[in-house]
Amino acid sequence: MAHAAEHEYTTTGLNHRKLLMWVFLGSDCLFFASLIATYMVYRGQSLNGPYPADIIDVPITTISTFVLLMSSFAMVQALAATNANNQRGIRIWLLATAILGSIFIAFQVYEFNAFKNEGLTLGTNLFGATFFTLTGFHGAHVTLGIVWLVALLILGMKGRLGPATALDVELAGLYWHFVDIVWIIIFTLLYLIAGFDAGPAPPVG
Amino acid sequence: MTTSHEEQHGRHPSFRQYVLVATILFLITIVEFVLIWPRANIVDELGASKIPLLVGLSAIKFAIVIMFYMHLKFESWLFSGVFLAGLALAFAVGIAVLALFVALDGGPRDFAEANRVAFEHGEDESTSSEAGATESTGQAGETGTGTSSAEAVTPQAETAVTQTAPAAAGPFTLDITTEGDALTFSTGTLTAQAGAEVVLTFNNVSAVNQHNWVLVNAGEKDAVATDGTAAGPGNGWLKPDDPRVIANTALLDPGATGEVQFTAPEAGTYQFVCTFPGHNFTMFGDFQVNP
Repeated sequence: MAHAAEHEYTTTGLNHRKLLMWVFLGSDCLFFASLIATYMVYRGQSLNGPYPADIIDVPITTISTFVLLMSSFAMVQALAATNANNQRGIRIWLLATAILGSIFIAFQVYEFNAFKNEGLTLGTNLFGATFFTLTGFHGAHVTLGIVWLVALLILGMKGRLGPATALDVELAGLYWHFVDIVWIIIFTLLYLIAGFDAGPAPPVG
Repeated sequence: MTTSHEEQHGRHPSFRQYVLVATILFLITIVEFVLIWPRANIVDELGASKIPLLVGLSAIKFAIVIMFYMHLKFESWLFSGVFLAGLALAFAVGIAVLALFVALDGGPRDFAEANRVAFEHGEDESTSSEAGATESTGQAGETGTGTSSAEAVTPQAETAVTQTAPAAAGPFTLDITTEGDALTFSTGTLTAQAGAEVVLTFNNVSAVNQHNWVLVNAGEKDAVATDGTAAGPGNGWLKPDDPRVIANTALLDPGATGEVQFTAPEAGTYQFVCTFPGHNFTMFGDFQVNP
């Protein structure tokens, strides 16, 4: 009875909206790979501080990473609730996902502000330029995802989400999880591995 | 409702499986944090092996999320195909960029130092274009490699020595440092005898910033610093052959010490300043030369 949208005829036998989303996510990998590679090329090349070891706060960012991981869990619950036509569940889990995403962004705003106060801006050194460009674009992706989730939440409040429109939630979910896996990589490379990089060793004497 | 639906969509994991996945992701992140947190005393023992370990753990998280949260494990191969093709291309792009800029030439900074071109000002070309080129190269080398400790006497200062009268009162030493990480010198006034041979030692005790010590004619610190900013870091934030500069140390990295030897000019008040962009507004003082 439901899922008419998912079962429409296509040349691939697959839903094209979903296929397009996967193609987009595959291409977005290239976008982030370029920015990550640029960060790694310029890693340790800054001539003046602040350097990562001076300002990167790994514990705080570990917490915000937890928050983003939990938001992915809330997102799959929102999709499960949509498939089950659990209207209350749809609203609760979409709201939870959007709130957890907003908390992640709040952490990032706090971090950027703290870095600015420590003297690191986009123009300070190569570390600042590559760090803010990469994490800033990720933050922009998260922000776009929050807007998308809020739009879905409004539809959910009107009772317009359910098994027949589950693909709308699923596509938002795919995007949201993608933003999560990009952060998994950024967190590992920029914080866990490169977060303790100090500046060039001062000359002896 | 839920049960019947899950039968319909057997391909999606159940609530308990999602909780299990979330728990595994949570635990891996905790393990990652403990591995690198200095107080856990594990990171030192790991040494260089921490990088493949952390990359491996995040790859596991990555795979778990796309397989279960994004259902790729349960979907058509075409979805996996288009995504993994993008991911493979992304890897190729990353490796190509790293190979181009790091593996082949040792890094952008090394490349820049090996291929630098001396900075020349139009107005200096007629008189001392050759000398200017050599001097700015020397300055850039000292700045770039961060080894400007022992012999930080720049050619500009040497020129100053040869142009003024021989020492009258023998070598005279002056010491100055920074106020920790603050953008100020440790003293606002330095004094010397006119014509004295002065050896000034500047210890940059800041843990964060690069600094230099530049002696200029009174009232010209900001103009010199503005031109220094235009000259760029390759010239140690100082315009090559600036006639307003009487003496200067090289640009010193945090913790470095530089020395400059020069002959004190004729009696009067001069200024000293750090020409690193922006520092000249707070980091300066008077250089008093007594007759």
